[in-house]
Amino acid sequence: MAPIIEVTGLSKTYRVFRKKDGLKGAVQGLFKREYKMVEAVGDVSFTIEPGEFVAFLGPNGAGKTTTLKMLSGLIYPSRGDARVLGYTPWERKDAFRRQFSLVMGQKNQLWWDLPAADSFELHKEIYGIPERQFRETLDELTSLLGVGDLTRQAVRELSLGERMKMELIAALLHRPKVLLLDEPTIGLDVVAQVAIQKCLRDYHKRHNVTVLLTSHYMRDIEALCRRVLVITHGKLVYDGELAGIRETFGQEKILKIEFPADHPPPDLSPYGTVHGVEGPTVELRVDRPRVAETLSGVLSRYAIVDVSVQDPPLEQLITKVFEQGKATV
Amino acid sequence: MSATIETNDLPDGGDVSWRRYPRLYGRLGLFTLVRELSFRGNFLVKMSVEILWLGIMLAFYETVFARTNLVAGWAKQDYLFFVGCYFALNGVIETLFLENCNEFSNLVRTGDLDFLLLKPIDEQFLITCRRVDWSVAPNVLMGLGVMLMALWNKGWDFDLLRVVLFVMTFACGVAISYAFMLVLTSFSVWLVRNQSLMEMWWLFSSLARFPREIFQRGWAVSLDVVFTYILPILLVVNVPSRVMVKVLEPRMIGFIAIVTVVSLALSRKFFQRALRSYRSASS
Amino acid sequence: MSYAAEPPRFDLNDPAPAPAGEDLVPGSVWRKYYRVWRVSLAERMTYRGDFLLGTFLRFLPMITTILLWQAIYDGSGQSSLAGFTYNQMIAYLLLVHISRMFSSMPGLAAGIAREIRDGTLKKYLIQPLDLLGYLISYRAAHKMTYIVTAAVPYGIIFFLCRGFFDTLPSGPVFLAYLASLILAFLIGFYFEAAVGMVGFWFLEVTSVLYIVMTLNYFISGQMLPLDLLPPFWVGVLKAMPFQYMAYFPAVVFLGKVQGPDLAWGLAIEAFWAIFFAVLARVLYSRGLRRYGAYGG
Repeated sequence: MAPIIEVTGLSKTYRVFRKKDGLKGAVQGLFKREYKMVEAVGDVSFTIEPGEFVAFLGPNGAGKTTTLKMLSGLIYPSRGDARVLGYTPWERKDAFRRQFSLVMGQKNQLWWDLPAADSFELHKEIYGIPERQFRETLDELTSLLGVGDLTRQAVRELSLGERMKMELIAALLHRPKVLLLDEPTIGLDVVAQVAIQKCLRDYHKRHNVTVLLTSHYMRDIEALCRRVLVITHGKLVYDGELAGIRETFGQEKILKIEFPADHPPPDLSPYGTVHGVEGPTVELRVDRPRVAETLSGVLSRYAIVDVSVQDPPLEQLITKVFEQGKATV
Repeated sequence: MSATIETNDLPDGGDVSWRRYPRLYGRLGLFTLVRELSFRGNFLVKMSVEILWLGIMLAFYETVFARTNLVAGWAKQDYLFFVGCYFALNGVIETLFLENCNEFSNLVRTGDLDFLLLKPIDEQFLITCRRVDWSVAPNVLMGLGVMLMALWNKGWDFDLLRVVLFVMTFACGVAISYAFMLVLTSFSVWLVRNQSLMEMWWLFSSLARFPREIFQRGWAVSLDVVFTYILPILLVVNVPSRVMVKVLEPRMIGFIAIVTVVSLALSRKFFQRALRSYRSASS
Repeated sequence: MSYAAEPPRFDLNDPAPAPAGEDLVPGSVWRKYYRVWRVSLAERMTYRGDFLLGTFLRFLPMITTILLWQAIYDGSGQSSLAGFTYNQMIAYLLLVHISRMFSSMPGLAAGIAREIRDGTLKKYLIQPLDLLGYLISYRAAHKMTYIVTAAVPYGIIFFLCRGFFDTLPSGPVFLAYLASLILAFLIGFYFEAAVGMVGFWFLEVTSVLYIVMTLNYFISGQMLPLDLLPPFWVGVLKAMPFQYMAYFPAVVFLGKVQGPDLAWGLAIEAFWAIFFAVLARVLYSRGLRRYGAYGG
């Protein structure tokens, strides 16, 4: 089967104008402006088969959003090519636009002061959705997300979580073949996050839509995707199974142990790598399999005020991925 | 490589033809009306202010004509018709387009414009027609009322040809104003703040507010030429009003028709150019 | 927005300054002026396209105004209407802009009403701070900034239009003119502050304000000199304080108010300034007390 998304050597470079500080700088800015070139996306290539659920992983500013916007046709690339559903996105043909959706977290596409239901009606007209299909899809989605009674409320009165659910409904009303999601759960409480994840999973299973999801929350990715594309500084540095990253790079756990404040904390270097000491708290890095024995060892030897066990932050994992060189693409 | 996955053939009942547009516009109008009426207090206040404005315009007009019979070659009732025509035309533009064009610079700034560009529908339509500002809609009726009053006072005999030509040239005036507004709005893509653009619009429309004759003397003649033939904002109210109350000038009627077509085409091109520029700069 | 020579919904004379209610330490208010001044200037220049464009655009309405009144005078066949020659009429309409530069207070009443609604006014209940005092110093500083930045474009306009000014006021008359401008500032400020204070009793005062300020445009004489109206209306409007926000300073400059009339006019203007100052303060203290009683 032909891939539904094909990206070859996609790049995007920007001119960023430098704003000088102060009064003098502002006056200078009236006449001449300096700029520098910033490469947001550099030579990215990948293919996605129909029905896949792929994650775009990367720290802030890595180029995930820019790539998604290029795939939506919102931005012209500086170099390279992309095909989505066989179309070149930035030609923005109507037939193309009718077949995909882009949802961006914390951004609102719906008419702000109209009830969501009215926005959906307008969507129906814009996308030319037949009445029966419209009703079916709407019912399916509102029950999946549990927002049936909220659709008559003005969008501006809904909470962030409820709004995102409405956004998702609007995005799926016209049964797109490709769904692009940019940080859809950012800023949402856990309950809303889980609801949206569940909806995406169910919908994907039912309709086999191809989904490309960007996030910097591991939780979203783990809940939904098997395949992961990792981007840092505009470059694709890993393309493969999610399990691969965790196994290869997520071996360590961080133990934060807080000792009583009356005297300086003991030296924990026999137990693992001491990553830092802040007041009474020691940050210890320990290999995953050894966490339990390390904890019991420390607890039996010392009096402890508090302890927490954490995953290393995603950024650190990614940096490691980057440092260890590119995996296969 | 891969073939295009075509779905131009939609399942039964789906319609993506041009017929969407009037249906969509109808719904937009209805939804915005319902919404505005739910804020009744605000609606009434806005309407009161508009009525007050008409009152002030008429007070000015009465004061001036208390001391003279002719202003720039326009007699009292003819000038009244002009005022009514201006008020009605401005009402149409403000009701249908002004708010949306104002909104455009916010869309550019926040990046929300992206979502409008994603929709499989003409962007110019979506951006300029998104909302209908119903609180200003009564202006059109009030302007019409003033025009009718002027004709009545004048003892005007009904002339179907005049009425038809008036409606036609009035529509042309609306179209030309729209084109100007679209061009100004497009500049939002390059200029950061909106304030100056709206000032610019208000000032442009201030040129349209008076009979062309005031420009036809001395040094102002150059302005007359510029704003009639190059940036033809002076045509917008002048031509329809003249068609109704003055001698018919076929040349002017033909001219405004041509200007309408040209200005709509040029403004659309410019707007699309602005959108393209937005898209290459956006992140 | 649809009228003969009217003001737009935003105020061309004075872009709205930042809302009131920032941290106030009475002693450092003067230091604040300087900072405000610098920030305003830099802020204006940051939007470079905007600044240049906006400056140029101030010229356009005057051109049509000049041409319109030329047509009016020609049509009337008289050289003087209600005691105004053509030159004086144009000079008047130019001077009215200056009066408005002093007396317009965009966003003042709305800002006060908003603070009342938000509840941010509560701090005035507990801290020894004076809202009116703060606001008036802030506005004065902002006005000074604005006058400085507008000096060049206005200077250019007035220079180009110097032909309309047949006579310039003598020393004492000019001093009286300056006095009338300062009093116009006070009347403008305290009037709008008082309206804002009504927000303690009626939350929707901003709607009323909108209507009042629209009316004010005509009755303060910004569209035409009040003398052009029928005698009955002239009497009514000249008895009201609004004429001092535009009409009165302009006619003082033009030398149309002389000697005892001038002294008397200034006295009444001062009266109105004091009247509104007292009114604003009374409404403020009463309102604040009521505010505290209701818990904001």
